[in-house]
Amino acid sequence: MSNLPPPPSSPASQPPPPTADAVAVAGIAKPIEGPVMVEAAGVTKSFGNVVAVSDVTFQVGAGVTALLGPNGAGKSTLFRMLCGLTPPTRGTVRVLGRDARREKVVRGRIGLAPQQDALFDRLTAHEFVRFAGETHALSGAALDAAVAESLSHVELVDQTTKIVGSFSKGMRQRVKLAAALVNDPDVLILDEPLTGLDPVQRNRMIDLFHDLAERGKCILVSSHVLDEVARLGSNVLVISQGRLAASGDYRALRELMDDRPHRIRLRTDEPRRVAAALIERGVADSVEVASTAVVASTVDVDRFGREAAPIAVEHGAQLNELVPLDDDLESVFRYLVERRR
Amino acid sequence: MSGSVGFVGAVRLTLRVVVRQLLTRGRALALVVLGAFLALLSFAVGSSDRVEDPIEDGVRLLDLAGFTLLVPVVALVFAAASLGDLREDRTLVYLWLRPIGRAPVVIGAWLGSIIISLPFTLPALVLSGVLLDAGSDVVVAAAAATCVGVVAYTAVFVLLGLLVRNAVIWGVGYVLMWEGLIAQFGAATARAAIRGYTRSILASITDVELNLGELSLMSGIAGALIITMTALVLAVVRLGAMEID
Repeated sequence: MSNLPPPPSSPASQPPPPTADAVAVAGIAKPIEGPVMVEAAGVTKSFGNVVAVSDVTFQVGAGVTALLGPNGAGKSTLFRMLCGLTPPTRGTVRVLGRDARREKVVRGRIGLAPQQDALFDRLTAHEFVRFAGETHALSGAALDAAVAESLSHVELVDQTTKIVGSFSKGMRQRVKLAAALVNDPDVLILDEPLTGLDPVQRNRMIDLFHDLAERGKCILVSSHVLDEVARLGSNVLVISQGRLAASGDYRALRELMDDRPHRIRLRTDEPRRVAAALIERGVADSVEVASTAVVASTVDVDRFGREAAPIAVEHGAQLNELVPLDDDLESVFRYLVERRR
Repeated sequence: MSGSVGFVGAVRLTLRVVVRQLLTRGRALALVVLGAFLALLSFAVGSSDRVEDPIEDGVRLLDLAGFTLLVPVVALVFAAASLGDLREDRTLVYLWLRPIGRAPVVIGAWLGSIIISLPFTLPALVLSGVLLDAGSDVVVAAAAATCVGVVAYTAVFVLLGLLVRNAVIWGVGYVLMWEGLIAQFGAATARAAIRGYTRSILASITDVELNLGELSLMSGIAGALIITMTALVLAVVRLGAMEID
């Protein structure tokens, strides 16, 4: 058993960390219920001249928190700092009020599924998870039970003879998750854990994360897929270009994103006539006209979707395509970052 | 909820996984061939009627082929990979982010490297000593110097694996340039090279005079152990300070 005390709400030896409100970058902050379990205070990480993470501050407690950001945004670097794998250039990170880089006892209360696909390829799934359990000081019947339960969670119980080197990407991902779960960690840090899983396994994993959260665990999950994050939990941290663009409730973030101006491209044989009609009817706020297309900007996407085709028909135009141009994550982040300035 | 793993337990766990990861068929085959080549060479020298002093010529052959080539190369292949491969393939995190200290990880990797290196060196050098047909002292000297050499070289190469990427290439450079060339220039440089100590052990047991191998048996062993301890301490410090992918 660990001799680490229960997670403190504020480490006695540290200055009081910033409150959740103080880090509400986009004004959608959700107050933390219960003790702070993971916190970053003014964290910056540079590699030479490249700033991977810049002045990030947040606190999370029990529950599922999604770290959302495009590839290369700094999510993995932030996770590595939280786990103590790399020290911040500036600022402090704490897990359960401790520094995982210096204090080995807190490392026993963290479960990490790193993003990389690396495993001990010459071990079987059972051996790999068992090894993870042993390195967390589990032994005897407790170890047997923990290994069986972890493999059961990821549906790999029957994989006892094949070495993980022969596994598919999805199976390897599940082995990593099982190894991260084996010590029943208080803080679970999962870097893109749903990558490579099929839809059924994804659902199962998301249910598992919620079950663990209900048991008071802190689950930090990174993803660059917006829809995935919607199902992971209501608390999100949005990171873009190394900076925290928003933090708080996912639904509020979603509304914020829905309220932003959207750009939509219509391909038509009569772009000028369609563009004029869209403005005249107030369906579009502004338009750009090209030889075979109109790019319209609107805040009411639903109305635009309903009325664009009838307007085209009314004006004798053929509508060949209607494509949203900025529903990708990058544009969402860009909007949040610009809004922040 | 887990606690901390004790020192011995952590050594055992590291040793187990390192041995399992290191011992590949390709590595084993290549190093067996290298050992067989040394034994064949020794047989050729031992059975030749043109050898004037079988002890001296035999010891010189062991020094050259065994302790300049076989022992350092085998130790390099396994020890540099013990933590170096884990670092490069990014599996080191599965040992690093655990409630275990840094020292048992290094000690476990070092012991694992010794356990794997000895079967590829000790039988080949003992067999070579026998095939040289130069008396039991040569066999004993070969065995003792092999054990000391493996212990010291593996410690240095575990450290090297944590210091640089592509440690095998750097290690070959070290073996050829430092151990093979610069250490020949004088007593001071020989003291900073493991070969100076294995050579002293060979020379002191067989009474054969070898250049820069004038230390006593105990001094030879002690010198190699000092290098070993220094390398292990530096490896522990390095593991604690390094950034893990």
